[in-house]
Amino acid sequence: MADRVIIGKRSKWWNEETRLAYLLLFPAVFVLVAFMFYPIVYVFLMSFFNADKLGRLRAFSGLKNYKTLLATKEFWKVTGRSIIWTAIGVFSKTIFGLVIALLLNVEYRGRKFSRMLFIVPWASAVPISAMLWMWVYNPEFGLLNYTLEVTGLWKNPPVWLGKPISAFGACMWVDIWIGIPFMALVFLAGMQSIPSERYESAYIDGVNSMQKFFYITLPGIGELLMIATLLSSLWTFNDFNVIYILTRGGPANSTNILITSIYQYGFEWLKFNTASVMAVVTFLILSIVSIIYAGIYFKRERE
Amino acid sequence: MKKLNKLILIALLLSFLPGFLFAKGQQEKPKVTFYWALYDGLTEDFRASLQDAFMKANPDIKLDIVPVPWKNMHDKITTSLAGGNPPEISVIGTRWLLELMGLNAVDEVTSYVSKATLDNIAPGAMEAKIKGKLMGLPVAAGARIMAVNTSITTRIPMTMGELEKDAMAVNNPPKVYGLIMPGKKHTELTDFAYYLLAAGGYFFDINSDGSYGKCAVNSPAGVKALTFMNKLANVDKVVQKGYLSMDRMGSHPVFYAGKAAYVFIGAWVESAMKQANANFKVKYAQIPPFAGNKSTPLIITDSIAIFKDAKYKKEAGKFLDFFYQDKWKAKFDELVGFPPVTISASKLPQFQTPLYKALGVAALNARGWPLMEGWAEYSDIIWDANQKVFLGQMTPKAALDEAAAKIDKARGM
Repeated sequence: MADRVIIGKRSKWWNEETRLAYLLLFPAVFVLVAFMFYPIVYVFLMSFFNADKLGRLRAFSGLKNYKTLLATKEFWKVTGRSIIWTAIGVFSKTIFGLVIALLLNVEYRGRKFSRMLFIVPWASAVPISAMLWMWVYNPEFGLLNYTLEVTGLWKNPPVWLGKPISAFGACMWVDIWIGIPFMALVFLAGMQSIPSERYESAYIDGVNSMQKFFYITLPGIGELLMIATLLSSLWTFNDFNVIYILTRGGPANSTNILITSIYQYGFEWLKFNTASVMAVVTFLILSIVSIIYAGIYFKRERE
Repeated sequence: MKKLNKLILIALLLSFLPGFLFAKGQQEKPKVTFYWALYDGLTEDFRASLQDAFMKANPDIKLDIVPVPWKNMHDKITTSLAGGNPPEISVIGTRWLLELMGLNAVDEVTSYVSKATLDNIAPGAMEAKIKGKLMGLPVAAGARIMAVNTSITTRIPMTMGELEKDAMAVNNPPKVYGLIMPGKKHTELTDFAYYLLAAGGYFFDINSDGSYGKCAVNSPAGVKALTFMNKLANVDKVVQKGYLSMDRMGSHPVFYAGKAAYVFIGAWVESAMKQANANFKVKYAQIPPFAGNKSTPLIITDSIAIFKDAKYKKEAGKFLDFFYQDKWKAKFDELVGFPPVTISASKLPQFQTPLYKALGVAALNARGWPLMEGWAEYSDIIWDANQKVFLGQMTPKAALDEAAAKIDKARGM
């Protein structure tokens, strides 16, 4: 009987069908292990070792790297800034995305063209968009300040990338501008899957627009909203390009977030120990966010 | 089902086969990869024609000259070394050499470059000779000077005090600015260095054995330099609008556009102005010292390093012999505007102009960057101190004291 169970188990995991499945899965698994899991495991290891300037492990150091980094004020400032960056970014992208999706969901002439236009920031490469905005913000030759001055809207506009708060805001806006189309498209897809009968019934019952939005549209796209904001949180937290290109973390480190700090420590200063600890902290923060989201999502799905 | 499995396996293997065959075919021809710094003034035409000409002269070698923006060069080299895939050769800041040697990443140049090429290089340009070994071939060596837009002013200030007065006299923003001053962090700490050296200071104390002592940016000279820079920018307001958001690449075009009287700049000024279609005349002079100090410009040298773990170092040496002929190297020098490092090119008529004369005088008393490991981090710390002062967050003394303490701590002092 015992033999039969073992044979049964073996055949469940190793039969002609599963062998084919393994064979077909192998390339994808190999790529994942080589390019995703190996680097992650290596970074974890590096955070517990002394690494040389090329990131090669030299000697085990236990929690020393963590203790050193966690004791610095700069680390906490950068972590706090990363959270603020993500929170404002995701919130703004969600609100703008919702508004634009609602507008694009209304029947009007030129709707297709509008939809196409809104996807441009998403379709462009992020570094190109960031460089474009760098020129827009240029205080001497830039389009933004020139327009503000010429139209008389702002006689003496600020140097957007030159002061801590305006630089943070300017970077934030570029990140939002790039991220809005994704949110809008996801929400639009969700809105289009809501049966029109619901709106028709609501109309007959005399429901106003706000009530339609809060009682039909929003619940109708609820799951998509969660997934989109989760993805956006992960991307925004890890958005390197915008800050690196626009300010390189300056002025005076005022726009540095965790991901740009990791690059600075790792590849500019060759301090891979510190960089790896920061990378692990980033990984943990994002994992916690993902787990909470996944928990809520699956709980709802079960219900 | 078994047959299907076998078929899929065979199909997979066959799909890989052309790749293997292609890779094998490629290996027959050695490929030299050269990370080519995109200096101001260098053109794509020149890069492509050099690459083509070398491959035509050496059909058995493939050459890939990879253009890399200067601000990304350090990171690009680091990542290629960390990935175990360094180029054969790369332009490097000579100041990075100690770091690269510490990683055992670079080879002696003399093992691969011919004696004729080495003998044609001015001995004074061999800054990359460390402990008697030449670890990099000088590619560019240029002191910094001051360029004056003569359509705005003909006055040549002899001291920093005079510069301030002259800049204020012509300053009429946003049409005309007195002086160009980048305030955004970029790869080099050049701007603070100009003023620090002009005040008679340096980044570190120099011990009696020639080694570097404690960080000295907070010396009276350092504080004087930063106080003066802050006065120019925030009190006199003679620098270009939005200086805090402009690095070197962003701020120099304001001078090329004819909107500023003075700029501290390198030898590339003429070719960059030509490319920007600048239509005003320029005079060249030395960066003025503070009253009572002697003129001490900054000199920056770059080298070409050969990487130890690269595959085709012999072929890379062959390319360097080719590149260092006057036909190519002199043209390179002319485009980027650096004074030639080769003896034969320095005698050519195109290098006998007022610009090169000014550069020659500047080189006599010039000082370079500290040759030390960790300089990238320390210069960032000093940059941050500069910006804190410009933003009004700290006084020059407090900011430089903090920076010096951080640097000394990072160096274990």
